[in-house]
This record gives sequence, structure tokens and C-alpha cells, in this order.
Amino acid sequence: MKILIVDDEQLARERLVGVLNEADPAFQIEQATNGLDCLEKAQQEEFNVILLDIRMPGMDGLETAQHLSLLKPQPAIIFTTAYQDHAIEAFSAKAVDYLLKPIRRERLLESLERASFINRAHLAELNDSLGDASAVRRYFSVNKQGTIELIPVEEVRCLKADQKYVSVIWPGQESLIDESLKSIETEFKGQFLRVHRNALVALAHIERLEKDTSGSLQIKLRDLDEKIDVSRRHVQEVRKAIKSLQLS
Amino acid sequence: MEQKSLRTSSFLPDFCSARIVFVVIMLAELLAILLTLAQVYTSVDRFYTLAIHSLFIQWVSLSCVASLCMARQFLSKLSDIWAATGSYILTLLVSLIVAEMAWWLVIYFPDDMTMPNYSHALYLVRCMSISAIVSALALRYLYVQHQWRRRVELEAEARFQALQSRIRPHFLFNCMNTIASLTRSNPVLAEESVEDLADLFRASLQDIHHLSTLDDEISLCKRYLRIEQHRLGSRLKVEWSLAAKAEKLRIPSLILQPLLENAIYHGIEPLPDGGLITIQSKHEKPYLILKVENPITQTSAAPHEGNHLAQENIRQRLEAFFENKASLSVESGDGNYSVTILLPDDNENTDR
Repeated sequence: MKILIVDDEQLARERLVGVLNEADPAFQIEQATNGLDCLEKAQQEEFNVILLDIRMPGMDGLETAQHLSLLKPQPAIIFTTAYQDHAIEAFSAKAVDYLLKPIRRERLLESLERASFINRAHLAELNDSLGDASAVRRYFSVNKQGTIELIPVEEVRCLKADQKYVSVIWPGQESLIDESLKSIETEFKGQFLRVHRNALVALAHIERLEKDTSGSLQIKLRDLDEKIDVSRRHVQEVRKAIKSLQLS
Repeated sequence: MEQKSLRTSSFLPDFCSARIVFVVIMLAELLAILLTLAQVYTSVDRFYTLAIHSLFIQWVSLSCVASLCMARQFLSKLSDIWAATGSYILTLLVSLIVAEMAWWLVIYFPDDMTMPNYSHALYLVRCMSISAIVSALALRYLYVQHQWRRRVELEAEARFQALQSRIRPHFLFNCMNTIASLTRSNPVLAEESVEDLADLFRASLQDIHHLSTLDDEISLCKRYLRIEQHRLGSRLKVEWSLAAKAEKLRIPSLILQPLLENAIYHGIEPLPDGGLITIQSKHEKPYLILKVENPITQTSAAPHEGNHLAQENIRQRLEAFFENKASLSVESGDGNYSVTILLPDDNENTDR
């Protein structure tokens, strides 16, 4: 069995390596020090199980798990955490496996045996039920021919829905992600603004509001030539949001 | 007995309650006896005097209680000072009305035993003076008693909060995990960590009134940071810059340590590369200034609930010990967060 241990604390990783080695010397164990490191390693080689710490700097365990779920085949994920706070209740409610540190050997082996992967919908649900306790994602992720591409949320200028997919647009590039505009709108409230039935724009990147030749409103975004149409239904909200942006 | 928290309730008791009415009757009777005994020279029978005094005083005091009971709704909305003034004026007013009624009653139904041998004005002055003194004493007593009970309640609350906020469960379990790991790889360090943790817990389980010295607090902080250093490794950097000659300053224990815990939890841990915590102490007459500074991520710039709890607890304990001579203030901005504590830097605190 190939296992990846992800934790920002060296001693925490070392202990798990020790425990696992003792339990079964046949385990192949690798370590990663944070979410990004984990994603990189998980793409280079295939792991059966990933032991993922929840509280990590940069990209936390929950977000890492969401990006990992794009991998094929998907690794099984077991979350680890030092403290049983309210987030953990949400985990048990969603039947997501987790271990409390210091992790007991028996409990660990038990989890490894029945470890299963968590699908994305499940994780999104979990994130929703965590409410304010969940951290906002820092990246959108796309599976491009087997590799996971991470798009920093702060770089994204707008998101446009087209039939089944949503395209993420940032300077010079565009990618299709498998998420709905609705869920993104709820998750990034205050960061992205709905301007049209099929478009969200990043508030931070709005340059100006202008009229095209036919007199309908468009938004010009920084470093992006394409202008985004504002539907009549959303005009009022858009004006209000831009006004409050200018004020602050 | 009272449902509301004392902190928000008025210092005036519920005058409508049977208990208070009973207490007032007892006190009124004692006052009647006192006044009777105090009369040095009297031609009338003492028991008759007592009866008249009792009748009159009970009448006044029960009327006062009744009016305070009726005005309770209104008085409870006022601040302590206005409630006190209001109830004082009310008692005086009621006393005046009752005294006046008593005067006219005696005039209309004369009786040579009770017929006063002095003028109406003098009678009113005497009655009102007694009423003014007695109600002032009663109000003062109620106020002091309320303050005392409030203090007891606040202390209990502070104790509870202190227990809750001093050691974060997050820290405890992470520390246990670190020790579990060190037992395998470095038993000597594991042993040291257990000792440090024990010291930390001993300090946190102490009575809240326990005073420590700045020196002790600093060495406790160093132990705490040593534990965290094992866990965070090179991500945690600490710089101390301590002013001389403050080691013996008396302070409540665990004034500094919770600030370091906040600095690590909200400052260092969320940063992938960690950062530097600086702890400074310096003399700046008339204060000794303690300052803890740490970097923060842009996203964690908003104040945290946990931060707030620990700071509030420290603030309360500073107030309990130094009254208003000490303070705690917070500054944040530009990726930095700093907490400053001002302590009175005088000799009084060093040898108490």
C-alpha cells in the first residue's frame, strides 16, 4: 500500500511514519509538507491513501482534498487533526474519515483498511455544512490531461457559464471547470458578482462600467480585452456594488 | 434568587418581595425601639411612646416600600446613580406626605398624650431629618451589598473564563502529539517537553489571585515557546528584548503567555514560511511597557474570536489587580499585529 502523509509539522509526520513502519514494513510511505506539495506528489505517483492534516498554512486540508478529487484514479483520503472541534462533527455527519492526533495505531490501521475516496460533491457538501468554519478556497482546479492545474482565485477575472461547463477566465487564458456558477457565487460571496444569468465577475478587477454602441451596459475588467455584458436584471445591483467599491 | 445577572440588574432589591417587606418591618421596629430608648427625659410611659413611634415609623416605611415597589419598573431602567437619586427623593416625598397626614390626624383627634408641644415646622424638620438619614443609610447599605455580590460574581466568571481561555485545547493536543513523536526519536527532548508542559499547566491551574513576578512570567513564556519550537521548527523565530530591572515587578500570572499563544495560532501557524515574534519590555515613565508583535496573513486581518477572549480575560485581570493604572491595546495593519500592555512601573508593585 502506498501512503502519503501530509502535515506541516515534521514531528507529526515522523510519528506517523514510525507507527506505520512498525505496523507493516511493506507500506511505502512518502511525506508532503503542505497542500501544494501534496498535490504535486500525488500527481507524480499514485497513492492508495493520503493522510491529510486539516489545519495547514497556505492551502488547508479541505481545499487540498477538493483538488485531489480530480485525480484519476482517486486516492482515498483520511483527515487528521489535533483537536475535536465543531468541524469534526460535520465530518462524522458526512461519513468522512478522520483521525485525532496523537493517532492511535489500531485506529489508524482500521481506517487504512476501509479507506475510501471522497467525491467532490461530498466535499462541497461538507464545506457548506461547515459554514463560516471552512476557509475560502484559494484555487480553482482543472484536470488537464491527467495533471491538475491550479488557478489562483485572486487572478480570475470572470467566470462564464456555457451549456454544461463553466469557463474560468484570467489574463491570456481560459479553462473549463466542472462546477456550477451558482455554487461558486455562494462560496465566493463578496468576491465575485453576478452580472448576467451566465456570468460572474471579480469585484477586485472591475475597471469601469461602459455602454456599447447599442446602449447596453458592459463591464471592462483589468488586463482583459473582452468586455462582459451586464443584463438589465442585474444593472441596479452592479451599479450599487461598484459604487460601494469606489467608496471603500 | 434573582433571575437576571447581577451585572445588568439594578442595585435596588425587589421591594415587592415578601422578604424585603419583612426586613423593612424588622428594621423599622428596631428604629422605633432605638428612638424610644434615646429619649432621655420623658413624662409619658415608655411603652406608650414605643407604640406611637412604631405606629408612625411602620406607617412611613411601609408606604416607602409600597411606592418603591410601584416605581420599580421605572427605577430599574435608570443607571445606578439616577436610581439612587430617584428612590431617595421618592422615600423623602413619601415620608413627608405621611408625616403631614399624621400631623393633621393628631390635630383633628386630639389626645393629650400625643399632642405635640412644639410647632408644625419643627415637627416636620425632625421627621424629615430622621427619614433623610435612615434612607441614606439604607440605600448606601443596599449599594455596598450589591457591589460586593457583583464582585463575587465577576470573580467567579473570570475564574471560569480563565480556565477556558488559558490553555487552548488545540495547543494541548498538538503538544501531546509532539511529545508522542519525540518519545520515539528523542526521549530527552520529550522529557523536557513534559516538564515544560507541566509547568505551564501548574501556572494555569493556580488561583486567579496568585501573583507572579515578571521574571517568572517570562520564564514560563520561554518554556511555552520551547514546546512550540519543537512543533513548528524553523518556522517559528522569537526575539526577546527585555529592559533591565523589572524582574521583580508583581503581576498576575499568565498575562503574557496567552498573547504568545495568540501570536502563534493566528500569526505564525497560518504562514507557510512562519515568521518572527518579538517580545519587548521597556520602561517609559510611569509605565513598564510589554509588547508582543507578530506577522499576520492578509486574510486573517479580521479580529478573531479566540484572540478577543484571551485579551478580554487579560484586560479583566489587569483591571482587578491594577484598577485603571494598567491597560491593554491592540494595533494591526501592514501584515503586522501587536498587543501592548502598560503596567504601572513603581516600587509599590515590586515589594507588595
